[in-house]
Amino acid sequence: MRLRRMLAIARAEWIHNRRDPRSLVVIVVLPVVLLLLFGYGINYDLQHIPFAVYDLDGTEMGRSLIQQFQHSRYFSLREVITDRRRVDVLLDTEEVVFVLVVPPGLGRDLGAGRDAKVQALLNGSDTVRANVALGYIEGAILDYSTKLGIEFARHHGLSGTTPFTVHPIIFYNPGLESDNFIIPGLIVLLLAVLTALLTSTCIVRERELGSFETLVASPATALEIMLGKMLPYAVMAFADVLLCIIAGRLIFGVRVTGNISLLLAISIVFLAASLSIGILFSALARTQRVAIFLAFLGTFLPTVLLSGFVFPLRSMPAALQLISKVIPATHFLVVVRSIYLKASGMAVLWPLVLILAVFAVTLLAIAAKAFKKRI
Amino acid sequence: MGVAVQVDGLVRKFGDFIAVNEVSFEVREGEIFGFLGPNGSGKSTTIRCLCGLLLPSAGTVAVHGLDVRRHAEEIRAQIGYMPQFFSLYSDLSARQNIEFYAAMYGVPRAGLQQRMGEVCERLELGPIMERPAGNLSTGWRQRLALATSILHRPPLVFLDEPTSGVDPITRRMFWEVIDDLAQDGTTVFVTTHVMDEAEHCTRLAMMHYGRLIAQGSPDEMRSRHAKNMVEVRTGKLWDTLAVLQASDAVVEAVVFGDAIHAECHAALTNPAQTVREVLRSARISVESVAAIQPTMEDVFVSLARRYGHPEHVAAGGDG
Ligand SMILES: Nc1ncnc2c1ncn2[C@@H]1O[C@H](COP(=O)(O)OP(=O)(O)O)[C@@H](O)[C@H]1O
Ligand SMILES: [Mg+2]
Repeated sequence: MRLRRMLAIARAEWIHNRRDPRSLVVIVVLPVVLLLLFGYGINYDLQHIPFAVYDLDGTEMGRSLIQQFQHSRYFSLREVITDRRRVDVLLDTEEVVFVLVVPPGLGRDLGAGRDAKVQALLNGSDTVRANVALGYIEGAILDYSTKLGIEFARHHGLSGTTPFTVHPIIFYNPGLESDNFIIPGLIVLLLAVLTALLTSTCIVRERELGSFETLVASPATALEIMLGKMLPYAVMAFADVLLCIIAGRLIFGVRVTGNISLLLAISIVFLAASLSIGILFSALARTQRVAIFLAFLGTFLPTVLLSGFVFPLRSMPAALQLISKVIPATHFLVVVRSIYLKASGMAVLWPLVLILAVFAVTLLAIAAKAFKKRI
Repeated sequence: MGVAVQVDGLVRKFGDFIAVNEVSFEVREGEIFGFLGPNGSGKSTTIRCLCGLLLPSAGTVAVHGLDVRRHAEEIRAQIGYMPQFFSLYSDLSARQNIEFYAAMYGVPRAGLQQRMGEVCERLELGPIMERPAGNLSTGWRQRLALATSILHRPPLVFLDEPTSGVDPITRRMFWEVIDDLAQDGTTVFVTTHVMDEAEHCTRLAMMHYGRLIAQGSPDEMRSRHAKNMVEVRTGKLWDTLAVLQASDAVVEAVVFGDAIHAECHAALTNPAQTVREVLRSARISVESVAAIQPTMEDVFVSLARRYGHPEHVAAGGDG
């Protein structure tokens, strides 16, 4: 392997990119646009869940329950229903996620020390929201009944404490803010897609333009050509890693709690694997269009669906979990989230880094094999 | 003298289409080997097989004794290749392209500037060295491509139609450069569909519909094929042509420039006299009728007529 050849190839590729505004779009505009689009678009945080109240009781007791909901930052009261038919309308139009129905006789039953029930009508079409809302509703009701219990005990001269409470301390993402979770994932997604897009055209373009023939007739080896072509894109992709980290901090306020240098170092390993995927598509495709299309679908879909970016791996069928393991982004995602949220170090992360390195070498070898040096 | 390229029974198919059909020949070291044939006859396909860019469908190719299937990488280091169509980097300048290939072929840095100066001076590339290759006209592109293919002093160069789209002065320059290369001991394998250029070559091979239909030195080709060539000059070109084509004494008559070239039957002892008589009996007046040395184009026309379309020939090949 000759350094001089690789550097010459890298230089030619660099000069080409300097004159082609398309790559600038991919390197600078795309990450920022995607970061904004997804960063604001995906938000699992359920605060201010819109709800309505249908109070059939009308007692003081019912009103104080409703107040409990109103004062929570998780809920936002949209309407107090007086007409039965509005319940369906509000749920149908998805104006509210749930309707809290206070049944007649609630105040009376509670006053008499009997069991009482409130009803929550949920729109289950968005299961994630419905589930989260249900959790919050139960929490709010539990809170409320605890409060009632304490008051009842005080009233009867007993010490006003509840027997058990859970006092959760949430590690790693104390605010349970989804940005902290999403932004690192988004960085991985961006890098996976961008790198493949960047390199996907570099070989097939030469085929289309004709320069391939002289290049292939020269004694430069497939590996030299591929590494040479990857080099400029590795630099650009690395700049994108920095861009993403800075944008995550400035736009979304997400901090890297761990060692940034470590994150950058491991990114390089991931970039090598990911750039190789693009080169592989470039070696296989016969037109630039096909290469770009393959590179986009081949990285975007698996990363979104299978890397654990959106859907937690643990809840996937075993077969899909297995497939997710052969996607480099899956492992890099764990690394990025760990460094971002848990400040993990090499002591914990080394197996993942090793896996990424194996990916890089294997993919490069496959791409070199696919690139047969024939026209 | 050693053998630079040995080709035996080379076949190359594209799907069902046979682009190169059972071709065998050898190129000797230090010669200028002209590979002739009209467009589509399989010249470029053959060259690509020799450079290891296309795998042969059948047959063997050895370059400097190395099998092209197994040793493509070693072969590439020993050859220079100028493809038929422009194949350099459009967005690099001429100089950058040359430097790029100097790096690919490992031209030592120490002598690089001097060598570049030499080649660029020979091909008079000075004025365009800093211009992007993509903006150059065909003539300049061909000069640049020739420069890149010989910069590393390969012992064997393949030039695929180097003179196509090139003005007559540049064309002469190219053949001078090719002669110089041969003088220095370089083997030159050059294709062309311009038959006149064949005169520059040591030996020739002629392709026709994927088959090799003749090979030999230019003189051998002329004496073996298209003997009894007669040139007729007349004011009535088309009438004369019709009469000659209808005549039994004439195998083939074609317009050649402002004259007619008629190939007469090999058995005739004085073909010029026979042609004169044929034309006199048809009452056609002529300016001159003379036996001539056949040109390479005459040779090709004669051979092409003999071999016809591939559907009409069972077997070809000719020593
Ligand atoms: N890659 C290819 N796929 C299909 N047909 C091809 C290919 N390359 C060449 N051919 C066909 O093979 C024949 C010979 O082409 P070529 O070798 O380029 O001829 P020449 O160089 O003598 O003009 C032509 O009919 C051409 O269309
Ligand atoms: Mg050709």
